[in-house]
Parts: sequence; structure tokens; C-alpha cells
Amino acid sequence: MNDFEAWLQECYPQSVRTAYLILGNRLDAEDAVQEAFLRAWKFRDSLVKESSIRPWLYRVVVNTCTSKLRQEIPHRDRRSGGETLADVAANDDFAGRIALSHDVMSALNDLAAHLRIVVVLRYYADLSEREIAIAIDRKPGTVKSRLNEARRRLAEHPALRSEGPGDSTSSEEISA
Amino acid sequence: MTMIDEGRLRDVLREAADSFEISEEAIDGVRTQAQASKNESWLSHVPVLARLPGSARGLLTAAALVLIVGAISLPLLRSEGGPSQSASPAHRSSSGQVVSGTALKTATSLKGLPTTLTLTGSGETPRPGTSSTSAAASLAPKIESTGSVHLMVGQGKVSSALATLGDLAIRDGGFVLSTQATEGTRVTKSFSNGSIVLQVPQHFFASLVAQVQRVGRATSIVTSSNDVTGQYVDFEAQLKALDASRGQYLAIMTRATTIGGILAVQNQLDTIESEMEQLQGQINVLDNETTYGALTVSLAEAGQQSHVVTPRSGLAKAWHDAIAGFVHGFEWLIRISGPALFAVLCLGVLLALGRLVWRATRRRI
Repeated sequence: MNDFEAWLQECYPQSVRTAYLILGNRLDAEDAVQEAFLRAWKFRDSLVKESSIRPWLYRVVVNTCTSKLRQEIPHRDRRSGGETLADVAANDDFAGRIALSHDVMSALNDLAAHLRIVVVLRYYADLSEREIAIAIDRKPGTVKSRLNEARRRLAEHPALRSEGPGDSTSSEEISA
Repeated sequence: MTMIDEGRLRDVLREAADSFEISEEAIDGVRTQAQASKNESWLSHVPVLARLPGSARGLLTAAALVLIVGAISLPLLRSEGGPSQSASPAHRSSSGQVVSGTALKTATSLKGLPTTLTLTGSGETPRPGTSSTSAAASLAPKIESTGSVHLMVGQGKVSSALATLGDLAIRDGGFVLSTQATEGTRVTKSFSNGSIVLQVPQHFFASLVAQVQRVGRATSIVTSSNDVTGQYVDFEAQLKALDASRGQYLAIMTRATTIGGILAVQNQLDTIESEMEQLQGQINVLDNETTYGALTVSLAEAGQQSHVVTPRSGLAKAWHDAIAGFVHGFEWLIRISGPALFAVLCLGVLLALGRLVWRATRRRI
């Protein structure tokens, strides 16, 4: 159980934040990551055999998130049960930063789930395209095209095009 | 085409993701669940299979179908694969001939034997490992040979004959599996006898049988060989099919999205792995039996009489006859009950017919 504790401390925070970016809701993210960790821990022996455990762990997390998006979350208001960014912003001193985050989450939520997942894995979890391919069980070429499509759509999204309350960068910095 | 800058995207995602603190309660929840799942029994999750989502259930069904089809077709394909393989899994058996005489009933109820010496597993030569089975070896015929030889030796020579037989096995690269010797005393005029089980590599088995006959006077030789190639190939094919199914279940497992689904798949995996271990064990046993031939040699000193049952007399004979008579009588009752029942039924039918005929005749009259 000590190994589990170390594993939990090392991987849990980033996994929760990744799931949060995918699901847009903190409680859903915690729920999904809990499920994913239990599953991954149960089958850690088969995971350890792989050259890199990281993409496989994210694969379990992504599967759980996808399942939640497909089966549970569509049947209820995604923001009704958990703490949302708006709630956080109301109590946070760094209102500007939170407002930016709110814009980012808004842009992410407007992306299709398959695009959102690759963007989060690439630009937040720092997985390579090959690792993302393992995590989502697709070819690296598919990952590349999805990333391009996602970046193009994010560039066109109003929340990221215009200068937000906490964003000091101008829209000109969104480069081609 | 306009795309958002990668560096900026990284920054904003990090900002958004770091907008909340990680809850210690959530981590505690994971710990608690992990502890609970550790204590859960796999069997309690079997009904979860029925509640799986449609896609997972479909995958499981497909995997089960592949397992069944593979288990049926692979052995058939393998059995038709080469001329050296048996088309039928049934064993081919060839028995050796009885050379001369009748088998002596040695070591049976010899009275007055004060000492009994049993030596088991001298094992001078270690068995080779049987876990690895090469593909080439799997195509070679798998023959298991066994035999027994009864030898008569001179008086007081049982021990030396046992030692000679052991040397013969070791010289051929085999070993002594077990030895048993019973020595009598001159006072009771009983005779020494013994037996030894030799194991030698298959290709030395025939020469060992020939050499053993020179140790004493052979009164009986029985050898037999079984071709277990078909059975061996079947086991290997089943093992491969199960291994393929195991791989498919592992693939399903990575796609399962619920803990219940994972546990159900794991249950199936446990079953498959258990079957695989059983098959591997049977293959190992066949490997052992086909690597070495076993020859049991029974030794008796010349002049030994087989145990003769003395006829009963007096009260014991009367009691025995009474019991036998009672049993015979009971058997006779059981034997005749069938025909008697048939006869009663026929008689009843005849009586009924006769009554009808009689009534009809009376009406005419």
C-alpha cells in the first residue's frame, strides 16, 4: 500500500487537473480520476511492463473521462453539482487570473471532446504526439491532425481572440 | 490558416488547471476505495457482467465466440497439419509380447518375513527440465514406453541383481526411480524378492530391456508403447487458443470504462489463466513420460513358490458355504424376478383374452 501512496502523491494532482480541463467540472474530475486510479492500480502489473507508464495512465484517465462525458454528464447539468470556475472566481483574490481561466474553460468546452482531449494532453500534460496516440489509441497522424484542428478552432474562439480581463496579451500574439 | 500559439496555449491551460487546490479529502477517498477494493472478493462481482454497457458486453461476447471457435478449429487445423501427427486424438497403443512362462506372483503374502527394506528415489541422475518445449520438439513423435520384467535369480543374489540393474540404468543416462527389497530368513525358509523401477531415455529403452534379461532368467516380459503425439498437439493448440483469448481480454480490459467491467473481465482472465496452467501441467507430465521410459523389474530367488491358498475345512468352510449359498439364493431370486414378471404379464393378457372369448361364445349360444 506504500507504493500506492507514493504513486498517488506523484500522479494524482496532475491527473485531476487534466481531467478537470477535459470535463470542465472539479467534482467530476475527482470522481473520474478516483475511478481511473483504482483501475490502473488494480492492473499495475500489466502497466509496469510497458516502456513508459505515463501514457497508459493517461489512457485510463482519458477513458474514464470519455465515459463520463458520454454516459453521465449529458444527462445532467455539468455545472450543477460541482464547484465551477465562476464559483471559484467569486471567492478568489486573483480574479483576473480566474477570469482568464474561465475564458479558457469556455473555449475548451466549445471544442469537441476528441479535440479537447488531445489539446489538454499535449499542452497541459506535456505528452508527445506518440504518447497521446497511445493514450487515445489512435495513430500519431490522427493526433497531429486533431491538434491542428483544435488549435485552429481555439484561435477563432472569441474568448481567446479578445483580450480577457486577466489577460495582458493582445490578440496579435495569437500567431499563425 | 490561423492557429493559436503553442506557448500561449500552454500558459493559459496551466493557469486554468491551477485555479483550484487539490483536495486532501479526494485523495483520502481514493485511499479508502483502494483499501476497500483490496478486500473485495472477485466472486461478488460476477453479476456485474450482466450490467455492463452494451459495447463492453458485445466485446465480451465476441471474445467468448472467438475463444470457442479457436478452441474447436485450432486442434482440427493442427491435427491435419502434418503426416507425423495423428488425425485422431485417441492413443495408438502397441503392446509388447510375453516372451515365456507365466508371471510369478511375487511379494504376495509371504509369511514370516522379518525384515522389509524399501529404498525410494535414489535419483543418481537428475531429470532434465521439462518446462521449455521447443516448436521442433512439438512436431517430433511423442512416445511413452513402459514395461515390466520378472526375473529369477540365484539364491542370495537379489541385492546384487538390484545393484546391477541400477548400474544399467545409470549407464544409459537414466536413473533409479524406486527400489524395494524384502529379505527372508533361512529359519522360515522364505525367499528374498524385490523390485526396482528404472527410467531411461526413450531411445535406450529397448536396449535396457535386452540387458535386463541377462541379469537373471526372465520368466515374463511385458512392454507397451503409447503414441501421445495427438494428445500433446491438442494440449498445445488449446494452450495457444487460450493465450490468444487472454490477449483479447487484456485488450478489452484497457477499453473498459467502469470498475465493474474491469472486475468482470479480470474474472474471465483468471479462469483462462487457470485453464492455461492446467494445460501446461498436463503438457509437462506428457513431456516427462515421453522423455523417459519406465521399466519395472521384479526379482525373485529361484525355487520360490507362489502363495497357495489352502482349502478351508471344518466350521470355517461351513460358514463360508452358508454365506455363499445365501448369496447365490438371493442372486437367483433377482435373476428370476424379470422372467417371472414377464410371465405374469403374459398370463394376465391371456386370461383377459380368454374371458372376452368366453363371453362372446356365451352370447352366441
